Amino acid sequence: VTDFSDSAAAAWCSRLLADFGATVVMVEPPGGHPLRREPPFDDRGDSVAAAYFLANKRSVILDLEQEGGRQRALQLARRSDVVINSLPPSRLQERGLTYGQIDRPGLVMAHVTMHGMSGPLAEVPGDELTVAARSGWAGINGDANREPLRPSGHQVAFCTGVAAYAAVVAAILHRDRHPGEGQEVDVSALDVMVSTFAPALLRAGYTGKALGRRESADITAGPVPVADGHFALTISRAHFWRDAMHVLGLDDLAEDPRWETSWYRAAHKEEYVDRVQEAMAGWPKHELFRELAARRVVAGPVLTMAELVENEHLRERGFWVEAPGGERFPGPPFRMSGSPWALRSAAPRPGEHEREVWG
Amino acid sequence: MTGGPLAGYRGIVLTQAWAGAYCTELLGYLGADIIQVEVRRRPDSWRGSYDAPLPEQLRDVPSAQHAWNCNPLYNSVNLNKRCVTLDLQTQPGMAVFRGLLEHADFVAENFSPRVLGNLGIGYEEMARIKPGIILCSLSAYGHSGPWENVPGIGGTIEPTSGMSALLGYPGGPPLNSGQMYPDAVAGLNAVAAILTALRHRERAGEGQYIDLSMQEANLTFIGDAALEYVRTGRQRERLGNRHPLLCPHGIYPCAGQDRWIAISCHDDAQWNHLTGALGLATSGMAGDARFTTLAARKANENAVDALVASATRSRERDELVAALVAAGLCAAPVLSGLEIGADPGLRARGVVTEVAHPEAGTWPQAVGPWHFGRSGTAPVRPAPLLGEHSFEVLSQLLGMTREAYDALVDAGISGVGPPE
Repeated sequence: VTDFSDSAAAAWCSRLLADFGATVVMVEPPGGHPLRREPPFDDRGDSVAAAYFLANKRSVILDLEQEGGRQRALQLARRSDVVINSLPPSRLQERGLTYGQIDRPGLVMAHVTMHGMSGPLAEVPGDELTVAARSGWAGINGDANREPLRPSGHQVAFCTGVAAYAAVVAAILHRDRHPGEGQEVDVSALDVMVSTFAPALLRAGYTGKALGRRESADITAGPVPVADGHFALTISRAHFWRDAMHVLGLDDLAEDPRWETSWYRAAHKEEYVDRVQEAMAGWPKHELFRELAARRVVAGPVLTMAELVENEHLRERGFWVEAPGGERFPGPPFRMSGSPWALRSAAPRPGEHEREVWG
Repeated sequence: MTGGPLAGYRGIVLTQAWAGAYCTELLGYLGADIIQVEVRRRPDSWRGSYDAPLPEQLRDVPSAQHAWNCNPLYNSVNLNKRCVTLDLQTQPGMAVFRGLLEHADFVAENFSPRVLGNLGIGYEEMARIKPGIILCSLSAYGHSGPWENVPGIGGTIEPTSGMSALLGYPGGPPLNSGQMYPDAVAGLNAVAAILTALRHRERAGEGQYIDLSMQEANLTFIGDAALEYVRTGRQRERLGNRHPLLCPHGIYPCAGQDRWIAISCHDDAQWNHLTGALGLATSGMAGDARFTTLAARKANENAVDALVASATRSRERDELVAALVAAGLCAAPVLSGLEIGADPGLRARGVVTEVAHPEAGTWPQAVGPWHFGRSGTAPVRPAPLLGEHSFEVLSQLLGMTREAYDALVDAGISGVGPPE
């Protein structure tokens, strides 16, 4: 895989390709991949985002603004199965690295862009924030009496990266079954996030009313305060209600049959939410989780990274892996028994693999 | 165009609600023949309960007769599938299911971890019936470990994966997303997993078992915040709409009710364009040292946000977006679900498409997010009615006669719609 991209979304796509066994050569500009300049930085001054997104890859430096760099880029692309691009159509053309210009039979080329290679927004710049806005997600996150809230961190990039990885594997599968048949795949961050927005979109149509942001901060809308943090109690089935109310010592609510039906609970929540949250407020989150889980009630504490790194369940599953160099590193997104994920190398220094790649 | 890169593959799937159903819908959009097995006694929770009312806008649609076929949640993530009903807790139902497995390349399911084992149809048994089969299990916490049997849904995985701790306004409490985002994350990852397994099978000739924990899949989506903790000992703060480097980077009010614009400035030139477009360049802020450099703006972010909001508040949203985009800025309207359905750009891309459903009528829906230059994708088909394809599939794949099918229906094992 030759990765010419400069976005987090495309970087996650090529990270997954590397994790599942491909040799990924990342072509960095002389200033390094833009993620290398993104805060926060560790004590050595390295970007943690770059450490995560760029792991498992090899790095060469090429100045694609120069003819010499472009020629070497074409050379690399012409010995690849897969090429990854993140430039919009006009800039890709200028750079001379379109599918036609590379002209390699059987090549799979993934365009992983903000708004796609066609359509009215193809040349319009975008980022995590604007895609969150256009895809509907910002409009439903947060409080009704405040501004819309984008998903945190790099959510758009991760969703887009996984979708692009899937598209590349699908195109390779096509080539396996139809030897010699390569193709271009076009994956836009906005399309991916709109696809994930599907339930709220159709509900807006069927009900005539778009989903808005939450009107109140109670158990029906997300985590609420408990003794040592926050806790989500998402009551759906009747037995969840009964068992949860007994655990909280609210036996009258538990035994009153009116509360067994979810539409009744939703319509009359002001009669119980304050009492329930008052009862929850005295519980430490892990204890409450243990009691509810033992009764198979759907519930969950808000966990911090410190808690997740020490979490007994994730430890026993071996989620945290040891990166080369001994650092604890997040593990696989899913476990495959036959063709497993593997972290083989940390993020390279810019140009670390010049000799190896150019031989 | 060949009807999608997965044309010719078949999945027999037991997926429900969002995560699993979304995964298999996307595989259907890529061209696989997806046969979803549902149970009449206990419909998919996203079909709702049999006695639920119809959604408001469907009450005057004459073809909309059955709430379980008209639930927007179910119909939004089950395009491009066929639906067979089978009661797997009956011996004849299980026998039919085992027969279907012989025709499957992959199986996906998102039951609680003990269900398949209790039914006597775990991965080993499936692989015995159909060598080379792929099974993808999606569950809250995975199929091993002390939390294996702890139940979970998107609304509790968001907190337990570490995501809720990162979502929220600066200084405010942790939040969940407005709909159960962790399901979408798990669904996309499950698509990637099954495709990877299909590719491995093409090369190595073997199937495999995939254990997808929603908690872990979601945790990989905040892996940079995890590494930040590992390397610095710091829990990342809730940043709201802010960015670790850029400023301004926020969502600001526009004229009208609940109209908002997202704006981010990537450098000083863009800041100058923004203040110009907002009419601020000639105001008192022109020489204000708090705003002259990115570092200064970042150090005075509350003042920057207040300044920008004071100017956007009176502006028409879409005009301002157009002006800022023309100046090369990242700017966008915050669209509602209703606006997304009508958006010409999304329709031009094809990700929003009018889908005609036999009961609910024609509505804009979001489909798969891919364009394949050579293999194309499958034509969009509406979500199936409950049991719509029971006889079609059983006769086509198993050669079942009408009489044998009717006997299954009489026994309540297969059929159409709710139990008699």
